[in-house]
Amino acid sequence: MDWMDLIVTAVKTIVIYLGMVQVVPIMLIVERRGAALIQDRPGPNRVGPFGLFQPIADVIKMMMKEVAVPKQVNKALYILGPFLVLFPASLVIAALPFGDFFTLFDKNYILQVANIDVGILYILAIGSLGIYGILFGGWASNNKFSLIGAMRSSSQIISYEIPLGLAACSAVLWYGTFSLREMVTGQEGTILSVLPNWGIFYQPLGFLLFFVAAFAETNRLPFDLPESEAELVAGFHTEYGPMDFGTFFMAEYMNMATMSGLMVSIYFGGWHLPWISDATLLQWLGSRNLVALIQVLTAVTKIAFFMLVFVWVRWTIPRFRFDQLMRLAWKNLIPLGLINLVITALVLYFKGAA
Amino acid sequence: MREGLFIAFSLFTIAAASGVVLSRNPVYSAFSLILSFFGLSGLYLLWGTTFMAMIQILIYTGAIVVLFVFVVMLLNLQVNKESSPNFLIVGISGAAVWFFSLIILRVLTQAIPNTLPAIPTDQIRTISKLLFTRYLWPFEVLSLFLLVMIIAIFAITRTQEIPHGGEKQ
Repeated sequence: MDWMDLIVTAVKTIVIYLGMVQVVPIMLIVERRGAALIQDRPGPNRVGPFGLFQPIADVIKMMMKEVAVPKQVNKALYILGPFLVLFPASLVIAALPFGDFFTLFDKNYILQVANIDVGILYILAIGSLGIYGILFGGWASNNKFSLIGAMRSSSQIISYEIPLGLAACSAVLWYGTFSLREMVTGQEGTILSVLPNWGIFYQPLGFLLFFVAAFAETNRLPFDLPESEAELVAGFHTEYGPMDFGTFFMAEYMNMATMSGLMVSIYFGGWHLPWISDATLLQWLGSRNLVALIQVLTAVTKIAFFMLVFVWVRWTIPRFRFDQLMRLAWKNLIPLGLINLVITALVLYFKGAA
Repeated sequence: MREGLFIAFSLFTIAAASGVVLSRNPVYSAFSLILSFFGLSGLYLLWGTTFMAMIQILIYTGAIVVLFVFVVMLLNLQVNKESSPNFLIVGISGAAVWFFSLIILRVLTQAIPNTLPAIPTDQIRTISKLLFTRYLWPFEVLSLFLLVMIIAIFAITRTQEIPHGGEKQ
């Protein structure tokens, strides 16, 4: 690796990371305006044109507030809590593929921070660590509501990791690889020149399971039991001050982005435009880097669409009760995931035999 | 570079593991356990077994320790203020026995290689092939064993019969 590679890797890391951080303010306004749209009210529209500067105002408000650490907390773990959530949420982005590659001085660089050969495992493994922040933060707050929220969060995330993992297992079986990049490359082209060759047409049930479990993993409504404000004040972040709460919030949006990125990469063809292959695109545009740009835009658009779905669902479906949530995971999603896995294996077996 | 990283990860793992046994607060112990597993997975990564490293984090750090923490928090264990010398003696002598038996084993067998075995290029495929051929029976027996354990725990904890149809709301 010469110095050029190092610089490109560093720039890629910074650009992709900062791009993901920008998701937070964008989603802040999208969520508030989206909620208003669905509930038929104007929403925040005072700051800047169409209320576009509202996130800046929100963040300034949060930053200017006094940081108060309650007296009864376990200080070390209380302070560590929000960072333990944000840290894994920032790490997982490294494995998401945003495009094929771009050329710089006759050298190809992939549009991904790290091409990990077990990318999907990396995201699931590191992503599952975010729960410790909630767990330790909730416990250290020394407040019963926080503790109940943290307990709910951990049991929920552990339960929903199983259907998520089973759906991912089926996808891994289908593509025959753990690498997200190879999964996306395998989705190029069309099925019988009618449908795009995307994972969702091969793994519809798997996608459904993944989709439902993604909501539970990111603590989003209808599964936001850990912070259900009607019963637990604010759940695990009851005792947290302005920017600590903001950190939890940031991590939530970044996890949403990662989950959307995973869904796009596994089931929706990643950076591929539907019906148009990369070779055709190259023929039309004539330049590798232009193709790369189109690919990145495609991937980002798809991810943005799923983020919108997250908002849309949040303001459409009411919250579950906790026993309903557990029943859904253990009695419905996990058996379905196992069935999906067996069917995938059987289909692959007979396909290989034929 | 590699050796430096190896030493750093090893020291980190050992320090965190000592934290597990030395801290009085069970929640801090659990936190140290997480850190120590992290160090271990770093060692796996250094060896080149990315799959093992990820599985280590996914299974142990991501699931099993969560349950530990869960139980510790639910039980609301008190911080143990007194030190019990008996415990310390037992612990140290146990560790010493373990350490010396390892050394004796090393001297007796000589089979343990000084260098790590090479990693196959397609490690996931190799692991799964071995799992489904050579280690099929041990693997199945182990999973059956775990299933039996789960049923046993249910049998032990669920002592009172819940009357039919009268489930607690």
